[in-house]
Amino acid sequence: MAAYLIRRLLSMIPVLIGITIISFGVMKLAPGKPTDVMLDFNPKASVEARERMEQLLGLNQPIHIQYLTWLRRVATLNFDRSFRDGRPVTEIVVERLPITLTINVCALVLILGLAIPLGVIAAVRPGGLFDRATTVLVFIGYSTPAFWLGLLGIAWLGVALGWVPVSGLHSLDAESMSLVGRALDAAHHLVLPVGIMTFVGLAGLSRYARSSMVEVLRQDYIRTARAKGLPERLVLFRHGLRNALLPIVTILGLSLPDLIAGSVVMETVFAIPGMGRLFYDAVMARDQHIVMALVTIGAVLTLLGNLLADAAYAAADPRIRVGKSHA
Amino acid sequence: MRPTPPPIRAFVWGKAMRESRLVVAGGLALGLLAVIAILAPWIAPYDPLAVSLPEALLPPSPAHWVGTDPLGRDVLARLMYGARISLVIGVIAVGVAVVIGTMVGLVAGYVGGRVDSVLMRVVDTMLAFPSIFLLLAVIAMLSPNIYNIMVVIGLTSWMGVARLVRAEVLSLKEREFILAARAIGASTWRIMWRHVLPNVTAPVLVAATLGVGGAILTESVLSYLGLGVQPPTPSWGNILNEGRVALGVAWWLTLSPGVCILVTVLAFNLLGEGLRERFLK
Repeated sequence: MAAYLIRRLLSMIPVLIGITIISFGVMKLAPGKPTDVMLDFNPKASVEARERMEQLLGLNQPIHIQYLTWLRRVATLNFDRSFRDGRPVTEIVVERLPITLTINVCALVLILGLAIPLGVIAAVRPGGLFDRATTVLVFIGYSTPAFWLGLLGIAWLGVALGWVPVSGLHSLDAESMSLVGRALDAAHHLVLPVGIMTFVGLAGLSRYARSSMVEVLRQDYIRTARAKGLPERLVLFRHGLRNALLPIVTILGLSLPDLIAGSVVMETVFAIPGMGRLFYDAVMARDQHIVMALVTIGAVLTLLGNLLADAAYAAADPRIRVGKSHA
Repeated sequence: MRPTPPPIRAFVWGKAMRESRLVVAGGLALGLLAVIAILAPWIAPYDPLAVSLPEALLPPSPAHWVGTDPLGRDVLARLMYGARISLVIGVIAVGVAVVIGTMVGLVAGYVGGRVDSVLMRVVDTMLAFPSIFLLLAVIAMLSPNIYNIMVVIGLTSWMGVARLVRAEVLSLKEREFILAARAIGASTWRIMWRHVLPNVTAPVLVAATLGVGGAILTESVLSYLGLGVQPPTPSWGNILNEGRVALGVAWWLTLSPGVCILVTVLAFNLLGEGLRERFLK
């Protein structure tokens, strides 16, 4: 197992380098430099000042040198400073990361908590009323733009009915609240974005849970369990679900990029100051160091998610460890 | 004691009906949409770009079925023209993805060995990339226009097709008709083009149909974020973006483009799922 993990960890390195080279190349080759945003609105900025600025930031060096400089820094977990406010990127990210993580973990827990029971109930009677009803729901969930649901939620639940706050993470008077009050306030702000992310994410996972469960319930050992007279509840949960959960673990790892993408959109719609919003703002301002840092962190999280899923799968199912997985 | 088997003909017929209902429903919706999109210049009730400030933010009425936007433009006309943009971007972006994915998958699967491992490593890299990052970054830096959007969506969504084609090719390669073709001396290109490619069209077609829905969703997100189709050209995403200023006041501006996106994407997904059940099961 240890050897397997180490091999997988090592194989992440070329992938990561590939990703950072692509992103770096895209950013550096595209027209528009961070200095443009810094200096365009300053009529006093002379050509010489511009050049001095570029030199100071190392922007006048050949692109591969810039990349290697960047890579050397990142190897020591130093993502340099933001072009906009000069603060260290790490500091900004550390400030934003917990917000995004909280939202995603909440959504993920809800998705799992709902998708698995939904899938199991649907799988018990494939083609039954419940199965067909959830299928319709899943198709709609797949096809709905999440940001549009967000807008509808803001317009209806937020503005028209006034049930939930429509933007940000804290109320204006959050400073004066107690710790518990502030937590409740934040939770209140997150109801809508987390709810929508859950609904949209539910579609794929419940479908997956269903087909995995249907597959398992067809196996011989389920028939054996039924034949020896076990109560249906035990057959379903002890023999069925435990085996059906395995593939679900894998899909969880693979769904991380979707969650990251969802954060960018949801945080922009709801003006939540998390990593997604940070990325959007950084792209718009050509803040290259922040963009690179977030791309790298996103890729690392994605790869680790995949690795974790595969490792969990391998730990639970000895057949995987032997063969090489490359479907 | 065997249970009585279900009447076979009824079963098969019922199943075929169920499947084709999906195909028919999805196909009809898309056909209607395509007709509206193509005929937009003739059937749209107003010029989608005609600004009329006195008529700003009118609710739906007999004169303006879906109301007007903050600049007094007719929303129905803008939605009709938006259908053109969404369909064209969706289809061409997927076309780009299918061409790249099929080529990569064919070569990786058929040539195998080193080439295969390098290409699959590239696929892994692209899949590990949260594609929204690449989309936003590339489009923000390249200046957003329809062509860039189509190409970039295509460039970030070909990996699924590549994996699919590769897997198909790997299993086809061992089949006897490929062996026979090789035995009579057909060149690698000829085998790939004449024997392998025709046999992967069905799964690719299904993946492409499902992919168009995804591409349309991506376009709407980009346009909503202001990085997609640029105003004044109407697209469903940027109508939503413009409706944001009147959120909670002009509900028709937020509701209608979203319904259009939902129905279109749903239709592509139904059609794709129906085709999958028909051809791949």
